[in-house]
Amino acid sequence: MAQISRQGELVQLRVSRGERKALLRILERLEPLVEESRWVRPRAYEDEGLEREYERLVVGDLEQARAQDLAQVRDLLESDQRILLSTDQAMAWLRSFNVLRLALAERLGIKSDGWEDQFSPQEHRRPPLATLHLLSWVQEELVEALEQA
Amino acid sequence: MSAPNELVVRETGAAQRADLERDRPWQVVVWNDPVTLMTYVVFVFRRLFGYDRETATRLMLQVHNEGRAVVATEPRERAEVSVAQLHAHGLQATLARD
Repeated sequence: MAQISRQGELVQLRVSRGERKALLRILERLEPLVEESRWVRPRAYEDEGLEREYERLVVGDLEQARAQDLAQVRDLLESDQRILLSTDQAMAWLRSFNVLRLALAERLGIKSDGWEDQFSPQEHRRPPLATLHLLSWVQEELVEALEQA
Repeated sequence: MSAPNELVVRETGAAQRADLERDRPWQVVVWNDPVTLMTYVVFVFRRLFGYDRETATRLMLQVHNEGRAVVATEPRERAEVSVAQLHAHGLQATLARD
């Protein structure tokens, strides 16, 4: 099982080759959902004019940054290198796992708190719900490692 | 001493109103979503706004229990940057006039 821990100034992810492949498959399958997700692209303003201005000035940069975050995660998983993340890199991983979770949850039809009870224990253990739990675990561990700084 | 020109007074008044409008604070509002992890929200509030753990946790719980919380009140440009940063971290955030 993958391990995430603090190593001085860095965050270390110890993942087996199989776990790297599994995370890459998850990334590959969920990235297209990110493009369509409403939760990933919330409005900033109620006012239509201000919202259009926000979209014109800000949203393109946000999308570019999101793509860069995801690319960074993919590149490190594809490499055979030991995964040691600076704080900025770990933040990119955190943001990436968060958007992947949002996109997957939206696809699963999750709309309100207490959604866990919508699904049976068997469903929780199988994909795609098990994928959501795995992403949550990675995110929790990254937060914990970053908070130890 | 000459009387002030009426047009100048009107224009000055309009400019002052525009300045006041521009300087009027805006609220940065974070909305609940059923998926984002509580620990992550607290972490992001602390990182972006410099809140201590207690304040960040209180705000996160307000979002969770009441559906929304005002996490900052700032001039519009600064508030828009805060909302963009929250969006960059995947949180549901909007700006509203104070």
